[in-house]
Order: sequence, then C-alpha cells, then structure tokens
Amino acid sequence: MSAEPQAQQGTSAAGGSPAGPVVAVERLTKRYGRQVAVDDVTFSLDRGMITGFLGPNGAGKTTTLRVLLGLAEPTAGTALVFGRRYSHLDHPARTVGAVLESNDFYPGRSGRNHLRVLALAAGLPFSRVEEVLDAVRLVSAAARPVRSYSLGMRQRLGLAAALLGEPELLILDEPINGLDPAGVHWLRTFLRRFAGQGGTVLVSSHVLAEVAQTVDRVLIIDNGRLLADATVDELARRGQSLEAAYLELTTADLS
Amino acid sequence: MKAQLRSELYKLRSTWTVASVVAAMLALVTLAVLLHGFGLSASRLTSLPDQRGVFTDVGVNLGVLFAGLLGALAITSEIRSGTIRPTLLVTPRRGLVIAAKAVTILAAGFVAGVISAGAAAGAGGAALASRGLTIRLGAGDYAQLILGGGAAAAMWALIGLGLGAVVRAQVPAIVALFAWLLFVENIIGGDLPSVNRFAPGALAQALAGQQRSGTLHTPAVAALLLALYAALAVVAGRTATTRRDVG
Repeated sequence: MSAEPQAQQGTSAAGGSPAGPVVAVERLTKRYGRQVAVDDVTFSLDRGMITGFLGPNGAGKTTTLRVLLGLAEPTAGTALVFGRRYSHLDHPARTVGAVLESNDFYPGRSGRNHLRVLALAAGLPFSRVEEVLDAVRLVSAAARPVRSYSLGMRQRLGLAAALLGEPELLILDEPINGLDPAGVHWLRTFLRRFAGQGGTVLVSSHVLAEVAQTVDRVLIIDNGRLLADATVDELARRGQSLEAAYLELTTADLS
Repeated sequence: MKAQLRSELYKLRSTWTVASVVAAMLALVTLAVLLHGFGLSASRLTSLPDQRGVFTDVGVNLGVLFAGLLGALAITSEIRSGTIRPTLLVTPRRGLVIAAKAVTILAAGFVAGVISAGAAAGAGGAALASRGLTIRLGAGDYAQLILGGGAAAAMWALIGLGLGAVVRAQVPAIVALFAWLLFVENIIGGDLPSVNRFAPGALAQALAGQQRSGTLHTPAVAALLLALYAALAVVAGRTATTRRDVG
C-alpha cells in the first residue's frame, strides 16, 4: 500500500457504482423529540470536488454528517455514500475517512497507539500508521500520550486516523478549529492535492473565511434547512461573494 | 471479527487502565485477607468451610467486582473519551464491536479473577500458617477456588460490559456495580438467603466452592446460572448499542 495517490483506487473498495454520486443525501430529516435538527435536506457530491458545508453553530451540519456516517439513524430520508448506507460498506475505512470531533482520543494512549488500534480494526498494516504520522507531521510526538497534545496536534491526529485507509472521500467537521495559520495553510494545500488526485472532500465550518479560499462549491444550511447549493463560480457569476450570499441566506429570518 | 479482536486486545494493552485496576485489586485483596487472617479469632478459622469462607469472601468477591469494573470500563471509557466514534467509523457493525469486546474482556476478567482468588488463598494461607493454624484446603479446593473464581470473574466482566453498554455513563455504571455487590446482595443475603442464592454475586461464590445458607451448593448449576446472567447482559448491551444513536 503506497502513501500517496490516496484517491486513485477507483471504487473497488467501496463496491458502489463508479458512475453515481460519491454522497447522495435525499430528503433527509432528523428529529430529536420535537426539535428538528435536519429538515428535508437533499444534496449530492461528485468526485474530485471540495465542498464546504457552511452554516451557523447548531444549523444541522454535524447531525447531517453523523447520519451520513452511520452514527445516527435518520428519522426520514436516506444518506448514502457510494450508493450504500455507511454501515453496509465493505471496507469503510478504505472508502471514507472522517473526523467528527477534535478530541476523540483516550488521553492516556499515545498518538501512535490510537492509530494502531484503528489500523488493526481496519485490517491495515502498522506501516500505514507511520506513513500517516509522517503525512500530518506528528512523528516526533507519536509516542507521547494524547493528553499532552495541543488542539492543533489533536486535529492532525484525527486527520491521520481518517487517512489511514487511503479513502476516496474525506468528511471533516470543523477541521480548522485550533489550527495555527501555518496549519490552516497546510490543511488547505493538503485538501487541494487530495481533490486534485480525484478525492472528494466535504468540509464543514461555521467560519466562512476559513474555507472561502479552499472550496469549489458550497452548501449553506441553517435551522436544519439547506438554503443554497452552488459552486463558487456560480456565485461569482451572479456577482455575489460567498460572504454576501452566506449572510443574506443565514440572516434572512432575523430581519 | 479477527481484526476487531486484535484491535480490542491492543486497546487493553495500550493504556495503564488494566494494570492499575489489577494492581488496586491485588492491594485490596491482600490487605483484606490479612486483616481477616490475623484479626478473626482462631476458633473461627479452623474448619475447612471457615477458611474457604474467608478466602472466597475476599478473593472471589473482590475479583468479580474488579472484573465487572474492567468490563464496564471497556465500553464506558470509549463513550466518555469519544473514541467510540472512530471505533464505529472503522467498524460500523456495532454488534461486532460488542462481540469483540466481550471476548477480550472475558479473558481479562478470567485473569483478574485468578489473580484475586490466588492472592487471597496465598496471603490468607500465609497468615493462618503464621498463627500455627492447619490449612484445611486440599488441592481440589484450591483448584475450585482459583479456577472457579476466575470463571466467575470472567462472567462478571461480561455483566459489567453489558451494564456499561446500557447505562453508557461511566460513573453511574461503576456505582451500580459496587452498590449491587457490596450492599444490595449483603442485604438480601441477610434477609432472604433463599433468594440470594440466585443473585449473581452469590452464584460467583458458589462457583468457587463457598457453601453456606445464602449460596447454591451445586457449582455446576451456579456456573450455568451465572453464564445466563452474563449472556443476558451482553445481549442487552448489544441491543442498546445497536439501536441508539451515538452522541
């Protein structure tokens, strides 16, 4: 297994149809009691694009991602990756890499052992652990317990875990929180290269400026409803900046 | 399943949790059995049932308690730290994760139970011998105490895992384990010995050879019933884990 061309495996690991969308969310609704977290959301993602999933805190971004990744059951609708429910993928770790929280680590376990635990479950060799540690520049800290890591290091360790199986789709929830400017630049470059090799990225954020320069396309969500689904080029043709579009859509009900 | 087993085993080996729990157990068992061995009057330590009673009360009770703790921690520490998310992203079939945890924690619980019963018999026997008392336990009694204690602790590790998977919050799960074994069964044992025989803590004692009014006198039946409790706990934990969303 090689370190680079992350996304050149085609869909063999996914076992889905190569022609279909990478992600297909259809009429997805998730309720918690009477509260509607996600309300009839539909979108799909095509290969090789970086899509920003934008919206204020509590808009429904994380809930959508959790349903997509099989951690929560939809109340109605479907959320498929490579044409299947996440839990029905043949090799989830080799198909999708995801980071949902920045601190999903056991504090007393070393970064390297965190990755080894996951590599074993995914049937991947320990050599992949060293490769991803190198890719996120955590080799020197790998033997230390995660409790001694800074937030930025934890973000990178989470990303390393997502990259273990050389996935074709990356799903990152607020990955930029806690990264210093050099880290942000590094992540941007990394995602660009990943997408350039045919990988697909869905990255959520509530801070517009963080993703504006990185994404090809935006999904804007607020109060559980999808308000916009457009490429950055389309917005530009309408003479609208991403920021203007975002503010117009997400503050509409305030005025 | 093999991959998940290796992963779960590596989880146990890559933190200090198991070692610290076992060390705490060992210290407590040794302390308690020495207090009994030196503190009780010689007249209460001469017969086989008396001597075995002390070893089981300390070695098996604490063994199953700490094994239950290990079982509960196996799932609640993942939920508490958040590692349950990466775990389930790699293995979305949650039943497989619980099954792999059950197998590894069964083995860990057995080892903890053997260590606990063995330490109680060793330190307790030394205390009795130093007071000039004759040890009445034969090889068969020791074997039943230690292997039965190990088997009972293995079952209790599964009970802890199931309880932890249902309760999910770490502290309440651990408090429930302690409260049940240290208080509830003691109360039932005093007031309703005929009912207490079928309680999981008393079954663990019976399995290790304890024979008194509040325990079953047939270890095989005790083993079967305890295995039934363990199976029910794992099934409940599996169902709870499969059906509910992960936060």
